Amino acid sequence: MAGSSHPPIQRDWLSKTLAGLVLGAVLAFALSGLFSRLNAGMPLSVRGQLAMWMVPPIWLGVLSGVYFFSSGLRAWLWLGMAAAGLAGAFYLL
Amino acid sequence: MRTEFVRIYKAVHTWTGIIAGMALFIAFYAGALTVFKEPLARWAAPPAAMPAVALEDTPQLIARVLAADPMAARDFTIHLTDTEQVPGRMGWQVRDPDADEHDETSVRHYAATLDADGQARIESVHPSQLASFIDVLHRVVGLPVDSDPNRWVMGIIAVLYALALVSGVVVLLPSLVKDFFALRVGRNLKRMWLDAHNVVGIVSLPFHLVMALTAVVFAYHDGIYVVQDSVIHDGKWGTAFQRPPPSTAAPTRDPAAMLPPLELVARAKAFAPGFEPTLLQYQQVTGPRAVVRVWGKDAAAVSPRARGGFAALDPYSGKVIGNDFLPGRQSTPNLFISSFFALHMAAFGGTPVQWMYFVLGLAGAWLFYSGNLLWVESRRRKQPRSGGGVPAQRRDVRLLAAATVGVCLGCVCGISVSIVGSKWAYGLVGDADAWLRPLYYSCFFGCIAWAFMRGAARAGVSLLWLAAASTLAIPLTSCVAVLMPGLNMWAHTSPSSLGVDMTACVGALAFGWMAKAAARRARHGAPDSVWSGKQEGGLGEGAPGAGVQAK
Repeated sequence: MAGSSHPPIQRDWLSKTLAGLVLGAVLAFALSGLFSRLNAGMPLSVRGQLAMWMVPPIWLGVLSGVYFFSSGLRAWLWLGMAAAGLAGAFYLL
Repeated sequence: MRTEFVRIYKAVHTWTGIIAGMALFIAFYAGALTVFKEPLARWAAPPAAMPAVALEDTPQLIARVLAADPMAARDFTIHLTDTEQVPGRMGWQVRDPDADEHDETSVRHYAATLDADGQARIESVHPSQLASFIDVLHRVVGLPVDSDPNRWVMGIIAVLYALALVSGVVVLLPSLVKDFFALRVGRNLKRMWLDAHNVVGIVSLPFHLVMALTAVVFAYHDGIYVVQDSVIHDGKWGTAFQRPPPSTAAPTRDPAAMLPPLELVARAKAFAPGFEPTLLQYQQVTGPRAVVRVWGKDAAAVSPRARGGFAALDPYSGKVIGNDFLPGRQSTPNLFISSFFALHMAAFGGTPVQWMYFVLGLAGAWLFYSGNLLWVESRRRKQPRSGGGVPAQRRDVRLLAAATVGVCLGCVCGISVSIVGSKWAYGLVGDADAWLRPLYYSCFFGCIAWAFMRGAARAGVSLLWLAAASTLAIPLTSCVAVLMPGLNMWAHTSPSSLGVDMTACVGALAFGWMAKAAARRARHGAPDSVWSGKQEGGLGEGAPGAGVQAK
């Protein structure tokens, strides 16, 4: 493997886990909100249930993928930008 | 993939697995049994003291009972099947308003029948809590009560479980092609267990992903709804399920004017061929929103709940007023939502799928057990090739091995003992439900204490024999009930109830086989292992090879 050409990956257990938990939640709720806004024609009872079911897969997906970032700082930056963008899109819609 | 990622995810897999593994074993063992909750309830149900009214006479039954007890009109059930756990023909429940909505122990049950001269006879009944007790163990990872805080604990376990699944796949991915079809049976026991752990994990990965995600939802849906209501739905979520108010204020209606149950069943079946109704749930029958839910199953369709799904009918006109929960007749978004429930609860495909889930559930329990064994094996201190004494195993390794054996087999023994105990306690003292929790938890904690006292190797053998014996006691209890009627016990002969006895027979044989294998390893296996009987047993005893060990 070309391990020598990459910088070493920092473990950063605490900051990566927190990024996954906190920003994963923001991402999940923002995406579920976007889904709800974009499907406003669906009855609220159905749309709301689907939006609720979206949250755990996205949240846990982010949380379990967060350790692929090369450092905790990068995790916060990338996920933070994604979360801010999606939350912004949700409030603008 | 860079090997560093594999190493990082291996750490994630190890620690999430170790923290959640034993709780997940309990959830999966109890969950595999909960697939057959109804057969268990039928096995545990005392013979009905209340004869069921013929289906043709139910209109009369409903009218007489509602005249005698108008409160029952709020929500009552007419059972269409004559199964052991259903007393009378008509039943209803009164819930304690202060209790948790999932807490079944606080519910009072009533049943009604007609006596010889056609008068309503209403009785308070106590259906066996055995099946719901095992379900509670499943839902809250072995805790005694299904309450909000306990479900949150379960939710944390489920989150760790999801992390363990993803990280396990990441660790295995680089060598998946090489390792997947390899089960290297041989002298390298750790390799063999790891291969088996990987095969079971990958083959049942879709099942486990569904379980992890649905379990997180079951734990935290209330909280997610609250957040989404304030952020997304502008506080309107509470009104989403309200039906529109009736156009005219209808006067109080006479339930005697309702269509007979058999007619309502015929209407539901005409609306949905292939749908097999099992019970009718009447709600608010004297008010303007009178509705009857015709509950049943359709083996060819997805059921939205474990007990099936329902068609909502107007009990006076017989018109179908709702098919949102009717198997095979749902809209696509509703079917999508229902499939999460159905995929968790095996509510599709009928009995073959239930058996598949039973096997997958037990395989899942084995997956967590084997994960702990691999942790133990990776930290094994080997005897040096050059000879010398047998090294003592690390203290944390001995502790985890003992805890794994005690907790997992304690759960197995505890469940078998409480199944057996529910019948004996009913015969001997009358009130079986009060004995379920004491029996389970004394057995559970007794096994854990025994495992720590004796050490994993020796306790493993004796606890497996206890598991075999207590599980064999399930069919033996049924035999005793037939041979000695004076004990006030019973043995049902329906296929469901006999299926419980026969499954327990097979289970007892399996535990017996495991006990023999564990005893063989304790006697003849490599002495430098926590599974060797030659290692020190209890944690208080001195370690024989303590002077030789590396550090």
